[in-house]
Amino acid sequence: MGSIVSIDNVVKEYHLGKVIVPALRGVSLEVHEGEFISIAGPSGSGKTTLLNLIGCVDTATSGKVEVAGRDTATLTERQRTSLRLDTIGFIFQSFNLVAVLSVFQNVEFPLLLQGRLKAADRKAQVMSLLDQVGLSSHAKHRPSELSGGQRQRVAVARALVTEPKLVLADEPTANLDSATGQNIIDLMKALNQRRGTTFIFSTHDAKVMSHANAIWQLADGKILGKSGPVAGAPIPAEARP
Amino acid sequence: MIGHWVVLVQIAFRNLFSSFINLVIGVIIAVGTMLVVVGGAMLDSLDTAMSRSITGSLAGHIQVYSAASKDELAIYGGMTDDPSLAAVDDFPKVKRLLLGVPHVKTVVPMGINGALLMSGNTVDLTLAKLRGAVKARDAATASGAPAADLAEQVDSQKAHIRQIVKVLVEDAAKASVLADSHAVDDEAKQALATVSTEPFWEGFDRDPYSALELLENKIAPLVSDADMLYVRYVGTDLDAYQRAFDRMQVVDGQPVPAGRRGFLFPKFQYEEQLKLKTARRLDRIKEGLTESGKTIAGDSELQRFVRENQAQTREIVLQLDGLKTRTALARLNAALHSNETDLPTLLTRLFTTDDQNFMDRYRIFYEQLAPLLELYRVRIGDMLTVKAFTRSGYVQSVNVKVYGTFEFKGLEKSPLSGVTGLMDLMSFRDLYGYLSADKRDELRVLQAASGAKAVARENAEAELFGGGGPVVAEAKEGSIDEKAQLSGLKKAKKSEDLVARIYTPGEIEDGVVLNAAVVLDDPKALPQAIKAISELSAKEHLGLKVESWQQASGLLGEFVLAAKGILYFAVTIIFVVAVVVINNAMMMATLQRTQTLGTMRAIGAQRSFIVSMVLLETLVLGLLFGSAGAAAGAAVMAKLHATGIGAWSDAVYFFFSGPRIYPSLGAGNVVAAFLIILVVSVVSTLYPALIAMRVSPVTAMQAEE
Repeated sequence: MGSIVSIDNVVKEYHLGKVIVPALRGVSLEVHEGEFISIAGPSGSGKTTLLNLIGCVDTATSGKVEVAGRDTATLTERQRTSLRLDTIGFIFQSFNLVAVLSVFQNVEFPLLLQGRLKAADRKAQVMSLLDQVGLSSHAKHRPSELSGGQRQRVAVARALVTEPKLVLADEPTANLDSATGQNIIDLMKALNQRRGTTFIFSTHDAKVMSHANAIWQLADGKILGKSGPVAGAPIPAEARP
Repeated sequence: MIGHWVVLVQIAFRNLFSSFINLVIGVIIAVGTMLVVVGGAMLDSLDTAMSRSITGSLAGHIQVYSAASKDELAIYGGMTDDPSLAAVDDFPKVKRLLLGVPHVKTVVPMGINGALLMSGNTVDLTLAKLRGAVKARDAATASGAPAADLAEQVDSQKAHIRQIVKVLVEDAAKASVLADSHAVDDEAKQALATVSTEPFWEGFDRDPYSALELLENKIAPLVSDADMLYVRYVGTDLDAYQRAFDRMQVVDGQPVPAGRRGFLFPKFQYEEQLKLKTARRLDRIKEGLTESGKTIAGDSELQRFVRENQAQTREIVLQLDGLKTRTALARLNAALHSNETDLPTLLTRLFTTDDQNFMDRYRIFYEQLAPLLELYRVRIGDMLTVKAFTRSGYVQSVNVKVYGTFEFKGLEKSPLSGVTGLMDLMSFRDLYGYLSADKRDELRVLQAASGAKAVARENAEAELFGGGGPVVAEAKEGSIDEKAQLSGLKKAKKSEDLVARIYTPGEIEDGVVLNAAVVLDDPKALPQAIKAISELSAKEHLGLKVESWQQASGLLGEFVLAAKGILYFAVTIIFVVAVVVINNAMMMATLQRTQTLGTMRAIGAQRSFIVSMVLLETLVLGLLFGSAGAAAGAAVMAKLHATGIGAWSDAVYFFFSGPRIYPSLGAGNVVAAFLIILVVSVVSTLYPALIAMRVSPVTAMQAEE
């Protein structure tokens, strides 16, 4: 299986006034297609920064980030946006659905941005995904009419509707109770297995990360190591929060 | 791609109703749009109506005048008086060349001036009649012809004078109560006393001319009803004028015959200023009752007219001689079922009117009394002596015959178009102080006959007082022989002949013309025609200033322009407020929505998508409420178009070009409204859109706090 994400010695620094805050200090990793990867680490360890770089919403200060074979540093803003649209799906911690659009429209949105499918095809695609996340009966609802778990399912459907190679999920269960969080992880896992989509998700919940077939441990902007593929495998001591 | 826009519009619509501030913005936009639509349409309609009024009455579409003029042309008069214009050089050539310009239908020569009309007072007129009657009687008696009828006429006129004297004595008695004794002119008092005695009238026939002299010199000045009337007139080629301005119609009398000298009074002025005031007031009461739906009981102006008619019967009494007074008493007593012997009292009773009896009294006045009266101070057919200051400052007077009155269709009640009379160009030139060919010939003859010669300034003193120059003529004592004095002047030509003379079109055109109205066959061709005429003038060295009717009508023509300025100022303020409010609201909305915007960017929305989303939101808001405003405006205009707006005062007639204006909505106003909304939407949202565009997709990843 080919590599979908390749990160080589990436450094990311933020400038807060005159103070330089290092978020990642030379991270290297490789993710292969079809993997179900968790990035684990405590708050402030650089999980979100790493996901931002992989997701092409941010650029590295130095080092090389390759997504789907393309060096993101060489892309224009426009090209990075297109890359996101066509290759990457996003699932956010606080769901980030568009409040004024219905469930159906939220899921349809990326397809509209792509503008490739006809209305009928779009509808079939959206309904099929809503079916897969168990929300086909809620297509006309507004996000505000749904529970947290349902919203995140919609977000999952939206992330997958363009059939991306890679889905990034930033703390997808953090705003959910554990049972619902478990559901979402199960759903993601199922889709990973059924469709072969690569998933990378960040979490600091041990139960959640136990579903991953590999866990990258992150602390203070550095990779401590990779563990797994295991279910319920012991977490390396240095990765524990 | 269509789906892309569908979702954008949907987002826009849904965001629209998500906040209260959008409703406020919407109302501002709706009101602004309605103002643009209604105000714009009203002003356009006014513009059209005024253009009809102005182009159809005096100005034509274009006015040309000499570029050497000191003042700007102002067809309806300037701020103080008529502007001073230089004459157009060689009008026939100008006319010939202008007629060759595309779309030019006619060129009418003009000159505008003002003059004073003097009319004698009632006593003067009556005394003149008495003198005429005395002369006729004496002549008849001398030739042995039967003079009984003529003697009766003399008696009737005498009775009339005696009646006037009676009125004057009463006036004097009233005045002495009010005025200090020193203020009373003793000589006048004595004269009044003399002429109110029986012996004076008994002795009248023994020496009628001495008696008449006393009356003319001492009594006539006591009556102050003589009026000076200011008349503004356009001297023009009357035939060409009548053909070019088809809204003009002759009301009373007839048009001035082709090539003749003559004067036409504007009907409005004729009624307002020359009609017997009592009759005019009756007309106005009737108008108020029948046309404006007023009542005497409910309208203070009509009540004032009634009171004035009751009090001011003197005007009528003075007009009636003894015979007519008796007739008037008999007729009015019969009509009013009364038995009154005093005419003023009876007249006061006639004019004591209310809403019930007015129409009846009105009819009685016109059927019974009016035939005994001179209703107008100047009658159609009268010879009018017009006096005017010439350009060089001396007073020139010309006799012209009044052929009739005229008005412009739709502008019957407009004081603006109703106070300018029409005069032939020949009389105008005489009054304006330019020498016509006639006058030049006459002067040459005069000069030859009198032996006058031109004297240079440096030689003037020697010529006049010193030297041995030949004496032109010796002044001798002796009576003045009118015939001999006037013989060299072709006396006949000077007076009656001038009036009867028929001028050829060539004579009419070849002389002083101050300005000329150019009438086009297509009003829309105005800008091209102005350009073409200006170019022609430059090429042919005609020295013309070319102005549109708006410019030529001075302040009046700029009225609509000024009103438009005010409207657009108000609209600008409203929309500036809208821009500020929209900008603010959209900034707030953008800042509240950064996470949504960031999410969209993260998911793959390009910056252009975000910009169009924000712009579209305001545009939808603008178009939605703008359409509502435009629709409301259109509804208002449809209603106004159907019912019309009545002219609420005489002055408004001119602006409405008639008694009612039916304003209509042009597509231009709606297009303008939507263009303004477009600009306002884009301008007000540019900055918020820029901010929205810059929202980083990273924002989406930041958890909501």
